[in-house]
Amino acid sequence: MRLTDIALQNLRRRKMRSVILVLSVVIGVASMIFLLTTTQAMKADVANKLDQFGSNILILPDTGEAMTFGGITVEAPTQVKELDMSLIPLMQTIKNKETLATIAPKLLVDTKIKGQAILLLGVVFKEELRLKKWWKLEGLVKNQIPSANEVILGSDVARSLGLSSNETITIKEQDFRVAAILQPTGSTENDQAIFIDLMVLQKLANRPNAISLIETAALCYTCPIDQVTQQLREKLPGTKVTALKSTLESRDNTVNRFNLFAIIVSILLILASGLVITMTMKSSVEERTREIGILRAIGFRKRHILQIILTEAGLLSSLGGLLGYFLGMGAAVLYGSVLAKTPINIVWASNLLVYSLLGSLLMSVIASLYPAWKAAILDPNEALRYM
Amino acid sequence: MSLIKVCEVTKTYKSGDGTVIALNNVNLEIAEGEFLALMGPSGSGKSTLLSILGGLNPPSTGKLIIDDIDVYSLDPELLADFRHEYVGFVFQQYQLIPYLTALENVMLPLAITSRSGRQQREMAQTVLVKVGLGTKYQRLPSQLSGGEQNRVAIARAIVNEPAIIFADEPTGSLDSKTASELLELFQALNQSGLTIIMVTHNKENLAWVSRALYIRDGVLVPIPEEA
Repeated sequence: MRLTDIALQNLRRRKMRSVILVLSVVIGVASMIFLLTTTQAMKADVANKLDQFGSNILILPDTGEAMTFGGITVEAPTQVKELDMSLIPLMQTIKNKETLATIAPKLLVDTKIKGQAILLLGVVFKEELRLKKWWKLEGLVKNQIPSANEVILGSDVARSLGLSSNETITIKEQDFRVAAILQPTGSTENDQAIFIDLMVLQKLANRPNAISLIETAALCYTCPIDQVTQQLREKLPGTKVTALKSTLESRDNTVNRFNLFAIIVSILLILASGLVITMTMKSSVEERTREIGILRAIGFRKRHILQIILTEAGLLSSLGGLLGYFLGMGAAVLYGSVLAKTPINIVWASNLLVYSLLGSLLMSVIASLYPAWKAAILDPNEALRYM
Repeated sequence: MSLIKVCEVTKTYKSGDGTVIALNNVNLEIAEGEFLALMGPSGSGKSTLLSILGGLNPPSTGKLIIDDIDVYSLDPELLADFRHEYVGFVFQQYQLIPYLTALENVMLPLAITSRSGRQQREMAQTVLVKVGLGTKYQRLPSQLSGGEQNRVAIARAIVNEPAIIFADEPTGSLDSKTASELLELFQALNQSGLTIIMVTHNKENLAWVSRALYIRDGVLVPIPEEA
């Protein structure tokens, strides 16, 4: 027989009390898991949408003037300063580099095809398509990336040149296959451009390593966007780094407010569960005053009594934490989208199971310390006379 | 040679505005291997003396020396260790843990030792056989008679092989036949070397003991004729 056996036997004997304590922990943990998981999923969802809506930070040459990439004025490299590819590795050295989810460099070159002035937009297709997730591309299947000898035509260009996907277009005396037609986006920069592999365009334009601008999607939930912008400015001298703060801030604020609400509710639930544990264990100790007196009389030390009481609370709370995790995660998976009022993707997070168990255990130990200590310091002679 | 020395022990309690003297300057020596009865009317102080002797209740003044250890000078945790090592209690109303079986109740003092579960079980079963409960060890206290519960309490008291057994009115709620069987068991344990100190109010029990003391108003006095 060990002290744990004594604790277990007592729990078996007092089933109703044990059930109440487990239930209080289950409700607390399940609510926490549900709220926090749903909030996290909402954050991820907003981040994902933010990513789809376009860049959060624009890096341009520091010309002293604003620059739009739909204009033909970018043609003369002698008049407008250029960026180069060496900036990209530099961007990945900033302190908050993990927030830079997508880095999409671009080279803008104008040309004439069949007598029409056309904007050639050199891009890294993989990054560009990741950044422009809302694009509808006719001719490409989902997640298909065009190769170096393929191009994507903006809808206006395709119409004016009379081209459709799988046809061939000649650009600067080189043939390219039309991989896809970009459906109208409402943006003239996109609809009137031909998207071509960045390295290929650099070669065609005889401007190796040159880029005109960089778009980057910064998912800045763990850091202030101002800091990321400042870090980029410090790392990229001679550039103009502009954050599209308004969109980010409003979305971030909404999620952060909900997150704060979830945290406050979670803290209140923890306190409520802790209080139930304290009261339940206190009442249990009072009921067992004589038993504790017997144990003390036959030589149990204070720490043995503490151990028995804390083991009881720990076992029940761990069970509550385990059940609470499954209930909370189950509810989040089933009803998280209802709370968020938008379809969100919630996955079973095994690390939360560990946190639930450890958190419940810690909470039970803290909540039971007072009643356990009261039990441990009982005078055995007085306790034996307790009726 | 004295195993237990009680030196000028006084115990007072506060009661309302006044003070009650439960024991008044008690001096006593008990030799190893004695079977001693403490007698006296209700409220005379015999249970208080027993709890002081058992290391459960510190005296207001005076000393208790057991096996050359000044018991109440020990740190509270060492005092618990002392009780575990030296003392076995048979309480009034048995004081068994109701949700543990007879065997588990007997194993309780062993739960805080380094003995394995198997060793604990074997030791507990051996003492249960010794007290005549070899077949009922899986029963809960509520499934045992008063005499059987008393035997479980005795088994629990001796399982850790203490030097002294303190029994507080162990025959108080038993019929005369069961009481005799119990005293016979105590006598056998005493003959095997255990020192036993028993509080009793029953004069007939004196036939089983080696010495008897009488307490009246907290003072040891000669046994009166009418007792």
